[in-house]
Amino acid sequence: MTINETIQEEEDFELSELDDAELVEQMHEDLYDGLKEEIVEGTSILLERKWSADKVLNEALVEGMRIVGVDFRDGILFVPEVLLAANAMKGGMEILRPLLSESGIKPIGKMVIGTVKGDIHDIGKNLVGMMLEGAGFEVFDIGINNSVEDYFEALEKHQPDILGMSALLTTTMPYMKVVIDEMVKQGIRDDYIVLVGGAPLNEEFGRAVGADAYCRDAAQAADVAPQMVRARRRGVAVNA
Amino acid sequence: MTNISQLGRDPDRSGRRARPGRRRASGARRRSTADNHASWIERKIPHFEVLDTEALELIEHNADTVLEEIGIEFREFPSALELWKSAGADVDGERVRFPRGLCRSLVEANAPREYTQHARNPKRSTIVGGERTVLAPAYGPPFVHDLDKGRRYATLEDFHNFVKLTYMAPGLHHSGGTVCEPVDLPVNKRHLDMVYSHIKYTDKPFMGSVTHPDRAEDTLAMAKLLFGEDFIEKKTVLTSLINANSPLTFDATMLGAATIYAENNQATVISPFLLAGAMSPVTVAGTLTQILAEALAGMAYIQLVRPGAPVVFGSFAAAVSMQSGAPTFGTPETSLVLYGAGQLARRLGVPFRSGGGLCAAKIPDAQAAYEAANTLQTAALAGVNFMLHTAGWLEGGLAMGYEKFIMDADQANMIALLLKGVDMSENGQALDALREVGPGSHFLGAAHTLANFETAFYRSPVADNNSFEQWQQDGSLDAARRANGIWKQMLREYEPPRLDPTIDEALVDFIQRRKSEFEDRDY
Repeated sequence: MTINETIQEEEDFELSELDDAELVEQMHEDLYDGLKEEIVEGTSILLERKWSADKVLNEALVEGMRIVGVDFRDGILFVPEVLLAANAMKGGMEILRPLLSESGIKPIGKMVIGTVKGDIHDIGKNLVGMMLEGAGFEVFDIGINNSVEDYFEALEKHQPDILGMSALLTTTMPYMKVVIDEMVKQGIRDDYIVLVGGAPLNEEFGRAVGADAYCRDAAQAADVAPQMVRARRRGVAVNA
Repeated sequence: MTNISQLGRDPDRSGRRARPGRRRASGARRRSTADNHASWIERKIPHFEVLDTEALELIEHNADTVLEEIGIEFREFPSALELWKSAGADVDGERVRFPRGLCRSLVEANAPREYTQHARNPKRSTIVGGERTVLAPAYGPPFVHDLDKGRRYATLEDFHNFVKLTYMAPGLHHSGGTVCEPVDLPVNKRHLDMVYSHIKYTDKPFMGSVTHPDRAEDTLAMAKLLFGEDFIEKKTVLTSLINANSPLTFDATMLGAATIYAENNQATVISPFLLAGAMSPVTVAGTLTQILAEALAGMAYIQLVRPGAPVVFGSFAAAVSMQSGAPTFGTPETSLVLYGAGQLARRLGVPFRSGGGLCAAKIPDAQAAYEAANTLQTAALAGVNFMLHTAGWLEGGLAMGYEKFIMDADQANMIALLLKGVDMSENGQALDALREVGPGSHFLGAAHTLANFETAFYRSPVADNNSFEQWQQDGSLDAARRANGIWKQMLREYEPPRLDPTIDEALVDFIQRRKSEFEDRDY
């Protein structure tokens, strides 16, 4: 039987017929399979059953994406599949986000992300953005070739937990320090977690420019970012 | 059954769930079984050629000059001399000189352009010749090498291991022959255990014993028990290796085995074995001339024994270091010889054997990898039909390497994809993907990518392409260390193909009877 046939055979299945535990388990499956409509439907059903938005988020979506993350790390799931899963997660998040904010629950996190000035390479940065959305973050992608002013404007506007900067070139990566130095100068450095990434970087470079962490790939960024946000809210520093 | 292309992946997870999702299926959908291994590579790209027609004609002319003027010795094998006499050759003692064109016309008139070698599992039967490439493991090493135990004499257990690993390697179509020499067994009886291994632990086609005419007879007898007497009379079930004792000599051992196989319509690979500088002239053209002369004489002899018996034009050509006399591999000169020999074989219209993962390295290091890659790629592009020594070869063939085998088997998988050429179907053209993505975005999430990503690119189980930090976290292993884990996992997961117990019993009885018929001897 092919995968398509497998999925076909299951089309007549009704999510609403499942009890809560079965439905949550099913949503983990559907996230894994990148089924956005099913995730949106599952999220709505749980909310109708008077689940809190917070509980839906953590038990159904975040846990499902955790499984996806583990299999991605272990080489079982591939990038296009993880992007599908992240997109499905985003579908659920769009429903939950206003409810979470109404009930005064802090979102998992917000991030502004962009490629530094002089650098127009953005595929890695896009992947990080999508993976973080998959982890439940609200991501504001400000694109490529960003000056200090562009970053500052976005920080002011979106008030994120994290600023993410990326570069592919050895000639553009030093600009990260320019941005961070300016943040220090203006007294706003400690208001944000600063994550940096890109092929020519390493941990030492991350430390040298004054970032909080260097993330070697999108999966690690999605792992580190929520940890750092939680730790920061508890008032502890994390060495990633 | 697992194969090396998905080793290292976790088994699929399956927990309690309301309906089966893809998560449960995800392990299975990427798992290939031994059942779906290809039986050969179908070539879809042109041959790489280094000689123009004028050069080829000159080499053919020179080879005929060698055959006519210098001749070839057929040593201690009077029946061959008789056959040559009646075919019109000039026989002077053991030296046979051939009228211009005689050998070529015997081969062209009688030898098949390609032949089917049947395996006990019909799905594994293969075809040697034409636009096909069949890959087989290394042949002949008395030593084995692995990272844990280092270099040591090979045993029957090692022999079993390499037959099993070859059975599990999707890129190897043929079980080979002497995958290593089990020196723990007496010389005059070990062939029985070797042939039995190729019958019992695999269902891929294999090669027969050639170290004595009696041992060729034993191989045939065992093949008859396996396939049935009638079957063997009409069909080829063995491809066996007959080396010329270069320069310009065939010896009684090789001629004896070759004759028995030919009489029974079984295939022989007639291989001039040349270490240029020692066993042939130092130049490419001179070496090619000698290869052609020796191969022609050997293949023509087979056609005298039994017109139409399958033969393969073999070429094993390396060069010796002029500094030390040691054989060298993966060098540009021998690549040129290999390309040229492929052209000569195609002009003759017979299958071509050469190549392999040849190297002089002692361990699975960088030298092993690049020398082997040089020869494997050359052989693939040159149009080799039967590639002996594809996997495991170390130290000029003195050692069979466990890790090297895994590294070469990985290359074998890649050769198949390279020779497949370019997919020009609508899906291959990918205009949909280009339209969908447009400028400045990326293809990772495009529908076309999602539909194709699983098979779009070869994934090496040996290569590590993670970030430096990830690699470090995984133990900072080099390729050989990773290969070490892979062969161990393969042997742990090996399951033998089913063999009819009646046939198995008959084979075991035969082996026991033969072993009891004479004393152990080490010659």
